[in-house]
Amino acid sequence: MTVMDLIQFAGGAVWAHRLRSILSLIGIAIGVGAVILLTAIGEGTRYFVLAQFTQFGTNILAINPGKTQTLGIPGILGGTTHKLTLEDAVALSRIPGVEAVVPMAMGMGRVETEGRGRSVNVFGVTADMPEVWRFTIGQGEFLPIGDWDRATAVTVLGPKMKHELFGDQNPLGEIIRIAGYRFRVIGVMEPKGQILGFDLDDAVYVPVANAMRMFNLDELMEIDVTYQSAQMVERVLEAVRRILIDRHHGTEDFSITTQAAMLESLDEIMRIVTLAAAGIAGISLVVGALGIVTMMWISVGERVSEIGLLRAMGAQPRQIFLIFIVESVLLSVLGGALGVFLGLVGALALTWLLPGLPIFVNEQYLMLGLLVAIGTGLLSGVAPARRAIRINPVEALHAE
Amino acid sequence: MIELQHIAKSFEVGGQPIFALRDTSESIQAGEYVAIVGPSGSGKSTLLNIIGCLLRPSEGAYLFNGEDVSQLEDRALSHVRQHQIGFIFQSFHLVPRLTALENVALPMVFAGIASSERQLRAKDVLESVGLSDRAHHRPNQLSVGQRQRVVIARAIIMQPAVLLADEPTGNLDTHSGQHIMELLESLNAKGLTLLVVTHDPNVARRANRVIVLADGQIVKHVKGEEMSAGSMPFV
Amino acid sequence: MLLDLMSLAWAALAGHRLRTALSVVGVAVGIAAVVALTALGEGARQYVIQEFTAIGSNLLSVLPGKTETTGAMPGMGGVPHDLTLQDLLALRRNIHAAQYIVPVSMGTETVSHGERRRQIAVIGSTTEFLQARELKMAQGQFLPASDVERGTPVVVLGHVTARELFPGQQPLGQVVRVGEWRMRVIGVLAEIGTQLGIKMDEVVIVPVGTGMKMFNRSSLFRILVKVRSPKDLDGTCAQVITILTERHDEEDVTCITQKAVISTFSSILQTLTLVLVAIGAISLTVAGIGVMNVMLVTVAERTEEIGLLRALGATRGNILGVFLVEALMLAGLGGMVGLLVGLGGVHLLTWWYPAVPAAAPAWAIGAALALALIVGGMFGVMPARRAAKLDPIMALQRR
Repeated sequence: MTVMDLIQFAGGAVWAHRLRSILSLIGIAIGVGAVILLTAIGEGTRYFVLAQFTQFGTNILAINPGKTQTLGIPGILGGTTHKLTLEDAVALSRIPGVEAVVPMAMGMGRVETEGRGRSVNVFGVTADMPEVWRFTIGQGEFLPIGDWDRATAVTVLGPKMKHELFGDQNPLGEIIRIAGYRFRVIGVMEPKGQILGFDLDDAVYVPVANAMRMFNLDELMEIDVTYQSAQMVERVLEAVRRILIDRHHGTEDFSITTQAAMLESLDEIMRIVTLAAAGIAGISLVVGALGIVTMMWISVGERVSEIGLLRAMGAQPRQIFLIFIVESVLLSVLGGALGVFLGLVGALALTWLLPGLPIFVNEQYLMLGLLVAIGTGLLSGVAPARRAIRINPVEALHAE
Repeated sequence: MIELQHIAKSFEVGGQPIFALRDTSESIQAGEYVAIVGPSGSGKSTLLNIIGCLLRPSEGAYLFNGEDVSQLEDRALSHVRQHQIGFIFQSFHLVPRLTALENVALPMVFAGIASSERQLRAKDVLESVGLSDRAHHRPNQLSVGQRQRVVIARAIIMQPAVLLADEPTGNLDTHSGQHIMELLESLNAKGLTLLVVTHDPNVARRANRVIVLADGQIVKHVKGEEMSAGSMPFV
Repeated sequence: MLLDLMSLAWAALAGHRLRTALSVVGVAVGIAAVVALTALGEGARQYVIQEFTAIGSNLLSVLPGKTETTGAMPGMGGVPHDLTLQDLLALRRNIHAAQYIVPVSMGTETVSHGERRRQIAVIGSTTEFLQARELKMAQGQFLPASDVERGTPVVVLGHVTARELFPGQQPLGQVVRVGEWRMRVIGVLAEIGTQLGIKMDEVVIVPVGTGMKMFNRSSLFRILVKVRSPKDLDGTCAQVITILTERHDEEDVTCITQKAVISTFSSILQTLTLVLVAIGAISLTVAGIGVMNVMLVTVAERTEEIGLLRALGATRGNILGVFLVEALMLAGLGGMVGLLVGLGGVHLLTWWYPAVPAAAPAWAIGAALALALIVGGMFGVMPARRAAKLDPIMALQRR
């Protein structure tokens, strides 16, 4: 008995009861489809989030004041023993392998033109910011290169901010007020989008010295450091730590986050969430499997005399077992294939209906879905097939 | 060819052994045409099932072509059934979803014969029973007589040594019953050993010899022509 | 009549024990998933609400800075106008619905005693902080009532801080170093755990004047206002903003009520629960299809019986009823088993991991059973209709 024979025979039995076969395999299809769709959404979100972070480049590390252990998020509270200062930032820029350093101070201030005004985030940064944060200038130019502690009354607007204040007019050269201080607009950024709730497009950028003065700050909120290559991360990290500890009289009162470490933990979290959602959807696969078990069990009961005949003709119990296993696997594979199709159609429909929803169909998960379906079929077939081989052929032939 | 030595078969019913067959010895030569008769419950079917290797005897030895098959394991018994024995049932036992041709080819599937050869052989055999024009009909599209011919074709497809027929005419009208018996006898004439269980005296009297069973034991051997029409020895 | 139908259906179901059991288990798995997920989601929601209300639902916070940007957290970075102690005093003078108005300044400092040193969150506040945040003292006194701008060198330790700086010792009256400052310990807080993400057991509390000098900050972190009753919250918020806008010449503060935060969290968690339950409910659809399949087989098997019943005078409606009741019983049984399993699972989970907040809300019990019956009804209709439509003569002639 070849595999082809088995499939043909089992296929005949499946086809003979079309309606119930279709219903049984739909059970599996729904489960597989749901798992595929959810993993697609999960994967899509993962890539979306990762892309959000990698848009700042991967060879970057951030230094914030304060150790993280006690309060979770560093930097919010400020007021540490030793401030993170512009001098610290200058010292870091001398580390070999470091490409650029951006000291950052921020605050919230009211930005006004004649007649219009809004309160937004004001970022105090330096000329290297577009390179380090991977921003591009849309119009005009970015902040001038110069001494970091020298204040210059120029500003660059986020695109949304520009639109709010100036509409379609050319803002370059215009004077605006930020927290009461007069600034000349020298540039407008390209749209960048939101990250972690910060709308980077609805903001203004000024020299860090101006920001510190206008918000009465004596410390930086963050120092961002880029380095030349990924291999250098450990060396740069160590150098940064050593220099800052040295400058802060021996206390490690700052925290360093590398992009790589952050990406890793984010990736991990997203994977777990995706798995959990897929797992919950997987419950329906279990229920679908129960449906197949039920139908196969009924089928064996109905075909007792057929089984007796096959045995009388010399079919081995092993062959009878295989017939029913193949029948069950056939149902689940067809269900799995339909599920993969449904999942793909669902993913397509979702991208079309909700263009904002990030969806990514991973071929590996498609294969996994099919494999799981095959496994489900194998498992569901065992009990009915065992029932089939326990049938006594003599009694079966007389059962009418 | 078939040698039964002190065969007994008992079944447990409520913890008590009930004997369906007791101390039965019989010998059947190759090419014989034997009828087995007896009242209901006399052990006819049990005897047929033991000869057909569907049941193992509880006691005694069963030599098939000189080999003791009475205590063979399931696999080996399946193998004997597959290659040596053809079954014909009163209620046909055709697989309803398969065509006549597919039903006939079914035993070859389990014997591992290639699909192309199966087709050829099944067609040949269907033709030999006069059903080549019905090859692609399903059982419910055939008359009962045609169905029984499909069953016979299926029984001989593996070229067995023995044909076991359990009431082959039981579900047929007189006319088609006659046809079926003629078909079986023509096979016997070609050298196939034929065993028929029946309670139709008109069938029994056509056999070379008749074994009469009663209460799980062989009570009488009769020659076929000695059977009087319309009466059975146990009546 | 219904009872007759039910006993008829029961007999039919009992006649096929295994397939009945499998169908019941299918529905039960779905229902159990829904019940358990609802319980987890609802438990989490209750937990969050409890966390917030523990701090007092009558509390509102005033933060420096204001932004129109959605989502951004006010209070990050600097602001042009500080929230000062003078602002605090102005609020105290003018807002009478308030029970307490408390300043909070915050920073991180190295706190040390002898060889032991730790980086710890330092909160600067006044004596009313204890009542406003509903904290309890384990030992000694809280901050003394005094002029807010005076910085006395006294400190109150959190439960864990005290244990770690003074293992096996009496901390009261001892002197610790907070940054550059030497301060006398006057009290230790009772254990309280984490409140709003801040580990209140791992802080030190100093007078607000001391704190602001210590962190060299001119702006407060926030001002907490505790009102007498929740209905005063919105009015007080508006009042606070009016007073501070007048003082700062522009609206540059944000006022957050616990109520708003709670309802935001609550609705986020509710949505999350709903999504999870919906995903779990997919399995119910699959179980429903299973019930439909089994019922179809049952109808096919009992064609003859249906013909007989019709011949004996049963109407199409009667036949429909027979099979619908059977499907409903199948699903209802599954619902009950699923409910028990789901509740049992949640019980086991909370018993195993008491930290996991999970509790099935009362309505979930009814909803689960109703859901099971709806599934049974929806997927039972098709087979039952098929049975009802059978022609009695054809049905009897089959076979």
